[in-house]
Amino acid sequence: MGLVKAGSKGTLGTAPTGAAAPEDWTALLEHADAGHRRHAAQALGDRPDAAATLAARLPREPDPAVREALLTALVRIGSPEAAAGLAPMLASEDAGLRNGALESLQQMPVDAVEPQMDALAGSDDSDLRIFAVLLAARLGPAERSARLHQALERDPHVNVGLTAAEAVAELGDPAALPALEAFAARFPDDPCVAYTVDAARRRFRGAS
Amino acid sequence: MAPPSEEPTDGAVSPADYRTLCDLLRERTGLSFTEAKRYYVQRRLAERVEATRMPSVRDYLNLLRFQASGAEMQLLVNLMTVNETYFFREKYQLDCLVNGMLDEVVRHRRPGERVRLWSAGCATGEEPYSIAITLLERWPRVDEFQIELYASDIDSMALDRAREGVYGERSLQALPAELVERYFRPVAPGSWRIIDELRESVDFSLVNIVDPAQVRRFTGIDVVFCRNLLIYFDDLGRRNAAAMFHEALSPGGFVALGHSESMSRMSSLFVPRRFPDAILYQKPAEGAGA
Repeated sequence: MGLVKAGSKGTLGTAPTGAAAPEDWTALLEHADAGHRRHAAQALGDRPDAAATLAARLPREPDPAVREALLTALVRIGSPEAAAGLAPMLASEDAGLRNGALESLQQMPVDAVEPQMDALAGSDDSDLRIFAVLLAARLGPAERSARLHQALERDPHVNVGLTAAEAVAELGDPAALPALEAFAARFPDDPCVAYTVDAARRRFRGAS
Repeated sequence: MAPPSEEPTDGAVSPADYRTLCDLLRERTGLSFTEAKRYYVQRRLAERVEATRMPSVRDYLNLLRFQASGAEMQLLVNLMTVNETYFFREKYQLDCLVNGMLDEVVRHRRPGERVRLWSAGCATGEEPYSIAITLLERWPRVDEFQIELYASDIDSMALDRAREGVYGERSLQALPAELVERYFRPVAPGSWRIIDELRESVDFSLVNIVDPAQVRRFTGIDVVFCRNLLIYFDDLGRRNAAAMFHEALSPGGFVALGHSESMSRMSSLFVPRRFPDAILYQKPAEGAGA
């Protein structure tokens, strides 16, 4: 025994062929077997018109590997429709789905995600506004600055402002300093705000 | 067609053609090249444009896109991949393999059952042969199980060299002399060939690890070594690769990544496991959840 010639006895599996006609993949997304659902999700990642179908399956999908395949397929499609299908998952009570949706949106092209930004940034839910800030950090410079500075200067929830403060500090753009100072002035008694803004100031000094 | 002014005359590639090439490579192979790699890519591209006698970069890109055999894409990929490695590279993970990982893998297996290891992105073969040598030298239970060792790469020329098993001093630099003597035979000054027994113990194959159709034949794998490969992929490519490994692994199986790589930034499907020698990523056992 010990090392044997791998594959010499035909022990490794063979890739399934002719698994399903394209129109059958959608039906296979609902199959009882998780392996079939995962393969269907992988296959549908090649079809931009499947974005809504993939997104609709996500909240009902119990298997983590299939869920990951659904999310990856949506990232692969990377269209505004795919982003629109994912955005509602940011409000899910399921932390795994919520984080998966956020990571996936962060990996999508900016053009696909941008149409979702206004609704997220204007939400009554501060958690969604935090997600909007995290997504804004990936936008083009002008759009990004406008959204991050607005969160610093106006958002009523301190955690949204803190997320924006960390984002501008990471980006290292000294033009954000007035917005940061405005944020510090709005929450003068919060030590976390003072610390974060001070850290950003020091970073900008190092960068300039 | 793009206006003639977009076609540089100094051998450089236009920004539009560079983007097209990078998109095509990402789409077909998962490999990701940014603007920072332009010089590296451009040199290899120019080499292939000249070799194929294509009148322009744009014509060469069309050849890549539409050639039914995919042969030219394979040749370009061979040029684009980096195969610099050596025996016992990142040895701490080989230590981990025989100091705990495999004992855990076989905990519930009977003698004679299979253990499957996969070196994904094996380049010229140093990694799978290092695994084989480590098992033979240092895992006391090596003879109790049928150990299958698979190795794959997207570079067909690197695989040819791996199968041939001939290495220079640079590849052998970290191997103790007694292991060189035991597992290699000199074939020329400064050149050694790995012994046939070892060469025949590794199953080499051409695989694009982000292509589900190609990876699906790997099933029941217990350990995947994928070190310093995913750094060449973008987020989506890494995510796809992680999903492929998850699919190929048995429940409780492990992934070993390079020292600068972390699964937590690629996939939530694995659980980090700290062993005395290394941190690995484990597919949860059945019933354990993700």
